[in-house]
Amino acid sequence: MRLALLLAAAAAIAAVPVFFEDSYWRANLTICAINVMLAIGLDFILGYAGQLNLGHSAFYGIGAYASTLLIMKLDTPFWMAFALAMALSGVAGMALSIFAVRLRGHYLAIASLGFAVIVHQVLLNWISVTQGPLGIYAIKPPPAIALPGLPVIAFSNPANMFYLVAGFALLFYLLLDQLARSPIGETLTAIREDEVSAASLGINCAAWKVFAFGVGAAVAGAAGAFYASFVGTLVPDAFIITESFTILAMVILGGMGTLIGPVLGAIVLTILPELLRGFGDLRLVLYGFALMLAVLFMPGGMAQAARLARALCGRVLRAQVPG
Amino acid sequence: MTPNVAAKAVANDGWRAPDGVLFRGECLNKSFGGVHAVRDISLDITQGSVFAIIGPNGAGKSTLLNLMSGIYQPDRGAMRLEGVDLVGLPAYRRVRLGLGRTFQKIRLFKHLTVLENVLAGFHVHHRIPAWQYIVHARVFQRDYARCRDEAMRLLEFVGLTPRAATPAASLAYGEQRMLELARALATAPRLLLIDEPAAGLNAAEVEKLLDRIGRLRARGMTIVVVEHNMDLVMQIADRVLVMDYGQYLFEGSPAEVQASPAVIAAYLGD
Amino acid sequence: MSTVILQQGINGIVFGSLYVLVALGLTLIYGVLVQINFAHADVVTLGAFAAYFFTFVFGGNYLVSIGVALVVGAALGWLVNAAIFAPLRERGSELLPLIATIGASILLQNAMLIWFGPIPYAFDSPYSNAVLRLWGGTYITWQNLIIIGVSTLTIAMLYAFMKLTYMGKALRAVAQDRETAGLMGIDPNKLIMLTFVIASALAGMGGAMLGPILVLTPFAGTTVIVKAFAIVIIGGFGNVEGTIIAGLLVGLIESYTTQLVNPGLTDIVVFTLLLAMLALRPTGLIAEKREENV
Ligand SMILES: Nc1ncnc2c1ncn2[C@@H]1O[C@H](COP(=O)(O)OP(=O)(O)O)[C@@H](O)[C@H]1O
Ligand SMILES: [Mg+2]
Repeated sequence: MRLALLLAAAAAIAAVPVFFEDSYWRANLTICAINVMLAIGLDFILGYAGQLNLGHSAFYGIGAYASTLLIMKLDTPFWMAFALAMALSGVAGMALSIFAVRLRGHYLAIASLGFAVIVHQVLLNWISVTQGPLGIYAIKPPPAIALPGLPVIAFSNPANMFYLVAGFALLFYLLLDQLARSPIGETLTAIREDEVSAASLGINCAAWKVFAFGVGAAVAGAAGAFYASFVGTLVPDAFIITESFTILAMVILGGMGTLIGPVLGAIVLTILPELLRGFGDLRLVLYGFALMLAVLFMPGGMAQAARLARALCGRVLRAQVPG
Repeated sequence: MTPNVAAKAVANDGWRAPDGVLFRGECLNKSFGGVHAVRDISLDITQGSVFAIIGPNGAGKSTLLNLMSGIYQPDRGAMRLEGVDLVGLPAYRRVRLGLGRTFQKIRLFKHLTVLENVLAGFHVHHRIPAWQYIVHARVFQRDYARCRDEAMRLLEFVGLTPRAATPAASLAYGEQRMLELARALATAPRLLLIDEPAAGLNAAEVEKLLDRIGRLRARGMTIVVVEHNMDLVMQIADRVLVMDYGQYLFEGSPAEVQASPAVIAAYLGD
Repeated sequence: MSTVILQQGINGIVFGSLYVLVALGLTLIYGVLVQINFAHADVVTLGAFAAYFFTFVFGGNYLVSIGVALVVGAALGWLVNAAIFAPLRERGSELLPLIATIGASILLQNAMLIWFGPIPYAFDSPYSNAVLRLWGGTYITWQNLIIIGVSTLTIAMLYAFMKLTYMGKALRAVAQDRETAGLMGIDPNKLIMLTFVIASALAGMGGAMLGPILVLTPFAGTTVIVKAFAIVIIGGFGNVEGTIIAGLLVGLIESYTTQLVNPGLTDIVVFTLLLAMLALRPTGLIAEKREENV
């Protein structure tokens, strides 16, 4: 079952660029894959470990700027910079989790918001390094891969870039899914549900929060590194705090606490606004409205809706079988 | 046992428990603002016994249990579990030493299923190489199967087998109490602390609870029960500590407690 | 030099008292519900727009427009409670209302974007150019004098309401211990509604007075609200006195950082202070430690 789903996902990734030929849509597909990474990383922290993190945009921004600066200022090879960016974002996540260890719920939400504001402001004001609001231009795509006996795979080609990013998104999904299905998943959800109870079962809540933040932030760092190399320009406002809210909306509308939900949420919330472009600013009004409605009537998001639909189908089918 | 705790045990080698004493608390104190919830309480809990703590509401019983399990740290006093100094040790570290507990105000993982609640209790018992958390290979599979078996056995023990896949929040009250017990048992405690397990149970459920406590004791588990229902205490306890206004009032066998004028006065005056 | 310091002190107090108005609303709501309201930002923005339209489109008096903003804010506060917090109260989640208000905020901001457009409005209060000279070469505009006067008066009235009236006492009782709510014989739903209306009225007024200072766009409230959250934490969530002190403190820090260091660094300084505060004294400037009752 899981293998079948995995193959289906791989096939979908392989097929998608074939159907979307124009570069506008291919660009959106890559952004979509980046958003998937952001959403599952946040979900690991928020949906599994239950930590109210509103600073995910900061980890994203740290990954993007760290990889770009390493490549452009220190001539670091792309993949090395990529790994270091992930590590740095992960460390930033672990640093922020110190607040999660000491604070509950809303205090952590505000602390993480404050952290995101600081990171954004540092990117804006540390002009000698980040070039501030002017931004960094002409960031190169990842280096081409030349395997013997095969044509060179160049990532300046948007379809190849999509394959690369989507492949990594799938990899991270699998990684987090395996963790979530192991006793680590049980441990994190226990912390989410009740820390005092969790401690009474021998769980070191502080250490596991550090872990969840580290993992989730590192995945966001990877998303940032891909974003910079894909878009080619970096400005601090790409990582403004409202970006955290957008990622949050993907997780919530998809269904937090499941991994497939946020994947769907990221896909729908990336593609849908593009489809609704004709509506102009109204689409964002709808976006906000949908988020509100989801919380009020379907807090489990699309994942919950799918479960309900399945249960309903089952009941209808059983009703039709006589006896 | 983690190395740290082992080192601590060695460091405390000078202290020898009197024969058969598993837990010793000396002169424990805890205040909340102006409320002196536990005042100068000392207690010795014998290996393999059922030790009851009784007293009117607000007497400080739960607070004493919270001191023992590490939810609060005492303002003053000493505690040892088999020679290991507990003071300053956080709650989660005490679980590895063999302390398990349930809560008076039920604190289940509401959105998890009954089975998942129990599975979370095996946290300290997993022995899986780190890489197998990502690639679920042989050791992982074996651990997975063993935990599930063990969890189902515990659910059978408390009579919740048919409810395994139900979310904990939708259990009946009595079932929730039993699930708390199963979850605490999953940590494989040597000293089990249960806080008002019979509160809100009907007669049949109380009967079942008494039976299960008896069976655990027969297996050699040491149990501390907080309870304000006298009759229940008389049936299961080997020894009873009576508290009132955070203070020691009396300690003795159930028969001695029933005969004590001080205890009777406190209960009637309540 | 000392003139600069004095002048920035005055400006800091002006900003600070507006922050206090906005942050007090958040703190009141938190005190009663233990919930965070992100839509508070849009109450501020809408208050500013209400004042703008009242003054410049309908030709009303600016002072009266502050009252108009108050009413608009109160109405929006009522709506936010009725639509989001009341239905979600039973769930007892700290996450869901917060996210719903983020949704509401996205909705309101973009609705305002449709109506008002993205171009900043030039909101010049008629009192912005009239200057009152003070000692030692410092000065204050009539606009800023109005801000300090109205804020002080409002805060004093709120304080008197909380300390002297039965309703206010009930409100404080609930903020300290939610279980006594019912005991005082006051319907907690009414109390919560009242809190939202008062809190949002304050934010609406704050918006009317911030309008001429801020770059007035549909997103203006967000920058204010993020800072108001910092203030609420520094002052101690739910703590009125702490919020007043923290609000003035943040106003002063901003003013001095802008003048003496670098305007770009103000947010960094304020939020670093917030994080330091959270790391060292998470319960705020003037509050005691409490242990969870298990
Ligand atoms: N976390 C806490 N904060 C403040 N007071 C507490 C706390 N825990 C217990 N108390 C107070 O300590 C006293 C003893 O409470 P408790 O130990 O729960 O009594 P019991 O379990 O015997 O009914 C009570 O007056 C109670 O209000
Ligand atoms: Mg109790």
